[in-house]
Amino acid sequence: MFSPLNLEIKAGEIASVMGPSGCGKSTLLSAICGNLAEVFTLKGDVLLKGISILSLPMEKRRIGILFQDDLLFPHMSIAENLAFALPQKMARNKRKEKIKEALERADLVGFDKRDPATLSGGQRARVSLLRSLLAEPEALLLDEPFSQLDQELREQIRLFVFESIREMDIPALLVSHDPRDCPPGEIINLANQRM
Amino acid sequence: MIRGKKSSRLSIFPAFTLTCFLSAIVIGLVSTWLQAFGYLPSIGFKHFSLASWVQLFSYPGFGSSLRATLISGIGATLLALTITFTLFAASFQNRFWRLLKRMLAPLLAVPHAAFAIGFLFLAAPSGWILRLLSPTITGFQIPPTWSIINDANGLGLMVVLVMKEVPFLVLISLGALGQVDVTRSLAVGRSLGYETTQVWYKIILPQLYPKIRLAVFAVLAYSLAVVDIAQILGPTVPPTLAVQVFRWFYDPDLEFRLLGSAGATLILLLVLVSMGLLYLLEKGVQQILRIWLVNGQRRPGLSVSVQLSNLIVMTIVGVSCLVILVLLVWSFTWRWRFPDFLPQAWSFHFWEKGLTQINEPIRNTITTGITASFLAIILVIGCLENEVLLRKRGIKTGTGRILLLIYLPLLIPQIAFLFGIQVTLATLFLDGIWLSLVWSHLLFVLPYVFLSLGPVYRSYDQRITDVAVTLCQSPWKAFLKVKLPMLLRPVLFSAAIGFSVSVAQYLPTLFVGAGRYDTITTEAVSLASGSDRRIVAVYALCQLLTPLLVFLSALLIPRFYFRNKKGLRV
Amino acid sequence: MKRTSILVLLGLMLFGTVTVFADDWSVITKKARGQTIYFNAWGGSDVINDYIRWAADEVNKRYKVTVKHVKVTDIGDVVSRILAEKSANRDTGGSVDLIWINGENFRAMKDNKLLFGPFTDKLPNYRLVDVENKPTVLFDFTTPVDHMEAPWGMAQLVFMVDTARADWHPANMNQLLRFAKEFPGRVTYPAPPSFFGTTFLKQALLELVIDRETLYQPVEQSDFNLVTAPLWKFLDELHPLMWRKGATFTSGAPEMKQLLNDGEIFVSLSFSPNDASNAIINGELPDSIRTYVHTEGTIGNTHFVAIPFNSDAKEGAMVFANFLLSPEAQLRKAESTIWGDPTVLSVNKLDPKDRKRFANLPLGVATLSSSELGKVLLEPDASWVSALEKAWLKRYYQ
Repeated sequence: MFSPLNLEIKAGEIASVMGPSGCGKSTLLSAICGNLAEVFTLKGDVLLKGISILSLPMEKRRIGILFQDDLLFPHMSIAENLAFALPQKMARNKRKEKIKEALERADLVGFDKRDPATLSGGQRARVSLLRSLLAEPEALLLDEPFSQLDQELREQIRLFVFESIREMDIPALLVSHDPRDCPPGEIINLANQRM
Repeated sequence: MIRGKKSSRLSIFPAFTLTCFLSAIVIGLVSTWLQAFGYLPSIGFKHFSLASWVQLFSYPGFGSSLRATLISGIGATLLALTITFTLFAASFQNRFWRLLKRMLAPLLAVPHAAFAIGFLFLAAPSGWILRLLSPTITGFQIPPTWSIINDANGLGLMVVLVMKEVPFLVLISLGALGQVDVTRSLAVGRSLGYETTQVWYKIILPQLYPKIRLAVFAVLAYSLAVVDIAQILGPTVPPTLAVQVFRWFYDPDLEFRLLGSAGATLILLLVLVSMGLLYLLEKGVQQILRIWLVNGQRRPGLSVSVQLSNLIVMTIVGVSCLVILVLLVWSFTWRWRFPDFLPQAWSFHFWEKGLTQINEPIRNTITTGITASFLAIILVIGCLENEVLLRKRGIKTGTGRILLLIYLPLLIPQIAFLFGIQVTLATLFLDGIWLSLVWSHLLFVLPYVFLSLGPVYRSYDQRITDVAVTLCQSPWKAFLKVKLPMLLRPVLFSAAIGFSVSVAQYLPTLFVGAGRYDTITTEAVSLASGSDRRIVAVYALCQLLTPLLVFLSALLIPRFYFRNKKGLRV
Repeated sequence: MKRTSILVLLGLMLFGTVTVFADDWSVITKKARGQTIYFNAWGGSDVINDYIRWAADEVNKRYKVTVKHVKVTDIGDVVSRILAEKSANRDTGGSVDLIWINGENFRAMKDNKLLFGPFTDKLPNYRLVDVENKPTVLFDFTTPVDHMEAPWGMAQLVFMVDTARADWHPANMNQLLRFAKEFPGRVTYPAPPSFFGTTFLKQALLELVIDRETLYQPVEQSDFNLVTAPLWKFLDELHPLMWRKGATFTSGAPEMKQLLNDGEIFVSLSFSPNDASNAIINGELPDSIRTYVHTEGTIGNTHFVAIPFNSDAKEGAMVFANFLLSPEAQLRKAESTIWGDPTVLSVNKLDPKDRKRFANLPLGVATLSSSELGKVLLEPDASWVSALEKAWLKRYYQ
């Protein structure tokens, strides 16, 4: 799909990949998180903290992914959506604590029992991000995360996302076709990498 | 938007369709209930009484009939549902899944009666499977005395029902999953550390079930009240409730008609209660599983291995292929004794014979089927166009409620209202008339045509027709020359579905046709308990081929018609 | 002068009556032209269906009457329908024009006034019927026929055994029990109330009952439980030794024939002495099958065709019934390669050519000659049928 690409992202940094639709941005993300469709082959390696994760299945890679749809599970409440990300062995009160913290961060205190469908787009986007972060991933991928939001909201959410990532101190890779979405830092234009 | 009148020129269509439907079902049910309580003036029973109910509960073997009905009916539904979910969770998108998807349409096109007959030839102690294994592996020179089918608990019946219902549920689920972003949900779930199967169980399937609930209820209603398959594969002494009720209708002692109506009403109650229990079970499971959903367990506790799931796919596809194959072999047999692997002597004789005898049944089947599906298409298109018109005026149509009404003939067991319909038609001197037969088939064809054409119709971009209307000034012309040709393929496909539903009808043809109309299905089922497997095989294959040929034409006609138009060759 | 005038008068009267008789029939045949009759008859035997098709073709050619064979699994269904029509006051335009019937179904139709007739006295071929030597032609299961149904053929219960699997066959019911002990799981009978199931019960009862005469009286006149006690004792012993241990039953003789072919069972039954031979020719049964009867005799009867009261094509039905009684049709029916059903006609009343043809009919390989067929037991009174069926249901529908 595109010619060989070398990319290194440090903890707390957010790199961006840009390009027109169809150039392979989402495919790149799939390749990294382990969800590559069978029709594609990957040549090269993906290293997380210096270790190759290429042989690991997706659920073991500890890489979170955010899509443009918030994909909150409609059959669970907000708290349950968040709890879903927590590890099995965590004690009950610790869980409650973590969820409370997350809701505070998202400015959604008291929203635990709410049905995701009753929240606004911006609120859902925040919950979605926090859900991914609660799983304590070692890296985060973002596939056009802001394109569903309208302009006024976009700036708010953008700042929220970048702040949270920096706080977690994990590397992140963002993909978008809108240059305004990209934070300051490395920007790769895949259009220049066409085969 | 300007709020327009609630009715339009086209509102005659939904009005007529609903009247047809609801009136038939309501009249049928009420009349059956009246008979169940002793009221059938045309035969001289003019006083209400509970006598039939007392007779029903004290009939010899009632308990066994009830037990076999519940085991085969509820058991088949739950098992089919579990298997369907397992297939999605474990085999989605793998090699076996793709095989299943490709075989889905042919699997569904095999009518139940033909499948049951073929299964009988396959699985009986003297069936093909044992002939394949004997005498080399099993050492049998004569068939063993095992009890495989026709067992008293209805387990053989249950197995066949499951094999027919899994493809149906898979198809419905695939349609319903269109509203769920499966790929992305899987991606999110897996990125949070959950295994694929676990993501299915915790995330996707709980969203899927409410969407297929009506289909599951339809499966439940069918399994509890099925007659034709139960006659062939179910227990015999006593038979399942539905078969027993069916026999009572034909008893020379007319008082048994009241008993039959009571039995049919009982079956309806069983269906309603089962649906209620299933609904409660769903809610109960929802509550209990809430804790399990968020306990963080990333791997399934009970690991259903992918191998098991793939095996199930292979079994269903394999058995279905073998069923058709065994019918083919028997149809060309002259002499075939156990334990020979293949017939000793072959012959075309029974095909020659069958094809000459089959003239009239095939003619009845085809004319009734084509008329019923044609009328259904007209009515459905009328209703859908009416919907389009109303939508333009800003009036929302309650699709949820309409869906329930459409599903109604599928949720209420046929036998529960056919008694009533037969009496009503007979009093009006309308039974035994071909048009009544077509109408009775139409009742069951309409829902399927609606369900298959509806989504496609609604996703059509109305702006093309709007442009066409501005160009030719006539909405009628725009419809005929632009919209209809564009929708030709889905319309023909839905018509083909309607046709195969009509072909498979058994009880309506018998109750409403008053014995005047033999269809390929009634002939095949009545011959199934006959002495000559060879001619039965020919009939079963014809029952299979008839809808298949119609499907083929439904696929090929648009392809030919639009051979030069790439945009319409989806 | 006076004598001649009396003679002339007598002559005229005679001529008159003969003409009237002939007129009757030609009026009927004329009216029948163009009619379509729905002939409801058992459709479980291909051989019989083919014969009916031939007869239909002939009648169409000769009399322009169209005959449609409505294949029926159980004739009780048809009786039920006609009864419902009568109760709904449907006096014309009935759905059945001719029905193949006998026994308790005939009794039900006669008692409920569902029949048209008397009519057989109008059929020219009726005078050829053997009313002298075949009492079952005049009394159907002890019900007087009274010209309300036209005889069609003779039936006798016979058994079939696969000589390749078993080297002996039972000569009576008790020996059948012994046979079942030696070959467990290889004997069965169809479940009542199917036609053949009830017949098996009647045969067993006739053999096992203490006083056979009670069976020819209405069932209400006997102590049912006392009379049938030996039957239930016999069946209770037989069932565990039967095919599928008696947990499931076949639906009729056709299904049993298939099982016989497969080797799942070793004995079966039929009402047509020629059934086995036909089946062997057709490849339905292997050539090791042989027919046998019980030494004390087996049930025999006549089967008939009758016309419902509300048929709109009574003349067409009568024309067809008459054709079925013709020597030509009866001869073809009796041919073992066609159907092999014995005739109801008296060979002595036929003209010499037909008489010779009947005499020269060859026997099928598995068919017993009329002497070998042995004694015919008369059918019990029709009232015993439903009593036996109800009692069987009560005992064996667990």
